[in-house]
Amino acid sequence: MSTLLLALLACYVGGSVLPPCLRGHPTLQNLLAHSLACAAGLFGIALGVAGLVASEPLTASVSSTIPYLSFAIRLDPLAAFFVLTISLVGLACAIYALGYVTEFYGRASIGALGSLFNGFLLAMTLVVLADNGFFFLIVWEIMSLLSYFLVVTEHEKAEVRYAGFFYLVMTHVGTAFIILTFLLLFRETGSFSFDVFRHPEAPLPPGLRTVAFVAALIGFGTKAGIVPLHVWLPYAHPAAPSHISALLSGVMIKTAIYALVRVYFDLLGGEFPWWWGFLVLGIGAVSALLGVMYALMEHDLKSLLAYHSVENIGIILLGIGAGMVFQTYGLKEFAALGLLAGLYHTINHALFKALLFLGAGSLLYATHTRDMEEHGGLLRRMPWTGLFFLIGAVSISALPPSNGFVSEWLVFQSLFLSFQLPDLFLKLMLPIAAAMLALTGVLALACFAKAFGISFLALPRSAHARHAEEAPVSMRVGMAFLAVACIVLGVAPMVVVPLLDRVVAPLARVSIEGKVLAMDGWAVAPVNVEFSSLSPPVLAFLLAALSLLGLGLVAAFGGLAKTRFYKTWGCGINLTPRMEYTATGFVQPIKRVFSAIYQPTVKLETELLEESRYFAKRQRFESRIEPVFQKYLYDPVVAFFIAAADRLRIIQAGSLHLYLTYIFVVLVLLLLITI
Amino acid sequence: MLSHFGAQIVDLGSALLLLTCFAIVAQRRLSACVDLFALQSVFLAATAALVAFLTGIHHIYIAAALTIIIKVLVIPRILKKVIERLNVTRELVMNVNVPTGLLICGGLAMLAFFITQPLIPLGFQLTQGSLGIALAIVLIGFFTMIARKKAVTQVIGFLVMENGLFLGATASAYGMPLIVELGVFFDVLVGMLIVGIYAHRLQDAFDSVDTSQLTTLKE
Repeated sequence: MSTLLLALLACYVGGSVLPPCLRGHPTLQNLLAHSLACAAGLFGIALGVAGLVASEPLTASVSSTIPYLSFAIRLDPLAAFFVLTISLVGLACAIYALGYVTEFYGRASIGALGSLFNGFLLAMTLVVLADNGFFFLIVWEIMSLLSYFLVVTEHEKAEVRYAGFFYLVMTHVGTAFIILTFLLLFRETGSFSFDVFRHPEAPLPPGLRTVAFVAALIGFGTKAGIVPLHVWLPYAHPAAPSHISALLSGVMIKTAIYALVRVYFDLLGGEFPWWWGFLVLGIGAVSALLGVMYALMEHDLKSLLAYHSVENIGIILLGIGAGMVFQTYGLKEFAALGLLAGLYHTINHALFKALLFLGAGSLLYATHTRDMEEHGGLLRRMPWTGLFFLIGAVSISALPPSNGFVSEWLVFQSLFLSFQLPDLFLKLMLPIAAAMLALTGVLALACFAKAFGISFLALPRSAHARHAEEAPVSMRVGMAFLAVACIVLGVAPMVVVPLLDRVVAPLARVSIEGKVLAMDGWAVAPVNVEFSSLSPPVLAFLLAALSLLGLGLVAAFGGLAKTRFYKTWGCGINLTPRMEYTATGFVQPIKRVFSAIYQPTVKLETELLEESRYFAKRQRFESRIEPVFQKYLYDPVVAFFIAAADRLRIIQAGSLHLYLTYIFVVLVLLLLITI
Repeated sequence: MLSHFGAQIVDLGSALLLLTCFAIVAQRRLSACVDLFALQSVFLAATAALVAFLTGIHHIYIAAALTIIIKVLVIPRILKKVIERLNVTRELVMNVNVPTGLLICGGLAMLAFFITQPLIPLGFQLTQGSLGIALAIVLIGFFTMIARKKAVTQVIGFLVMENGLFLGATASAYGMPLIVELGVFFDVLVGMLIVGIYAHRLQDAFDSVDTSQLTTLKE
């Protein structure tokens, strides 16, 4: 295992150091950086699997001269699971990047891009491996900064710079809270070692634990993108190159999930009052619902996907929050189930969200626009990309036989189990969360019906879409890898559940592998088979069989049906793209229904002919939705700081002598005070 | 007996340093200010060497030698060159005029002694008197930076402050570790070079080395 770890580190370090040395050879830089990242990804997958099945965690430590800092690494099943997730997505993105990056030749430094890509993956891997709070904060910050530089790859565009700045501010606010969490634990235990946090000499006072809980939730929640701290996501994730977006949305926000599980279940000992779990659960439900609702209104494909990350983080937190609630009441098996469902959805979301972002990247590569209203008819031109995107869309909409279906089903089941809770309030609230999740699922389906339908079906809506061509081989291979992984995780939970059980068992202190897997592993059940059970492989088989049956019936009884190719009938006029259903039109009913949340404003300007007011010369239609969180939560804060800074500008007159006088007066006053 | 006599000589050296400070405050001609600074540095080096001789701490000799080389020879030469090239000889307008400035400096010297009063019994026998003087020099150097407008005199104020700090270190702790002193000398030298360039840029941009012009940089 340690050999694998060293090989992984060596590949990433090589991949981040070597490419910039080959200045002026973008092709070589591209090949070197991304093949090293591929190798590292393979080592990482092996390391993750080895760590999951190992009986003892792998630990290593290099001490430093800085007090309290030691570069300690610990590969326990939880860390191994996330190393596996990061490496799977990292590998796919690296393969994809080989082709995708050619787009940036001459526009951006390929050496820098490749080197940052490797460094970013390395930092994320170290974040989940770190076993020392100080070390964790260092790699966390490196991860944030490298991702910032990746986001601003196309820094010549003003909106990219804005997105980068927004991200940088938000991530540092989050980091401040994370530092607070670790400093509190440090103050109480006198050490930054995770091992000391786990087994403190004296039990931590409840007040301190509560503050640490809230600070961690805000700090890591900012990175994860929980509502209302999600506002940076739809800016930053689309701004980056697509394979980076896949990493940001697929993996980076998962490191925050890792950290939350690590802090709550491991470092704080997995014992907490009921409202902790309830708060996490509530935030999860709200994030899931609002995330998908805002996603529906987006017509920029990548922003839409970014909002879906908010939704899926919400679903993950629903599972984890349910687990925390059950843990409080000592229902260990249910707690393990909730946690398992959350983590299952974590890896699933990493895979299908990365797949969808890579698909969006292929569309961008082919059409040079992210606006869905300018896509259309791409399925005929890019059949492979279309197929992979469809698999991703099916997964994220939680339809069988995909992986998203299994994990969302498990989240549902763990919420339904709330009838076993002793507390009436929670008995009522958890089903409400389940109802919100159900609504989320429906809206997600609508959203991807829109995304796939508008982009891939019907006629091309612009010249860009008309001239689109299929993506190069490496990009298709990268997507195919993730698409296959999505299906495998969907139909073979008997492989995934035992591995996840090894992650969950130490945290919930009970193993539920035997109870979740029923019928020799052919079905999954929420601990209790009597309650409900589901067999993904059989379901997949039935789906395939029924489709074939339908085709067979048509073939058998269709009889005289002849295939005749002709234009679609358009009531006597030729069809044009302007007759198509637009993305805006598609979501109009939903916008009406939820107008309380969207607060839409519509502006219609009509310019009439002078001769007759029955004929319009030109019409302008503008529709937008209110960015509620930015308007009511962020803008006032920003306005306050700007006003305060304006006041403070009085003392900054620009005179050197005045500044010197300030220092002098303060010096003399301090000297006088001290005696 | 020798140590008592030595202490008095050290006090004398320190007092001469303080006296040159007042002279710098009173002097309007820039080249004379530079000369006075060089003179002050000579006194500083002599005082430091004396302390080294009386205490037998050898590394103070090195610091004294460096003082001679850098602060008596190199820096004044650079400053003179800057003055020559910029063609400024006198400082006519000041933020605080000379008589008032001298009065304030007197006040600062008293303040320095007042502040260091509780510390003096804790110091070494040999250099007891020097600590107050050192602080007075630092404060007066700082005041010079505030009172004068020309970049060159501000640099001199800064260097006077540095001299005061050096004297303070020698007085309170018989000098800092050699590595720190070397670092400080290097800093001063680099600082000088930067300020030399800075004065040129000022001259280019505003046709003057008057730092009050910098207010126009504000939005």
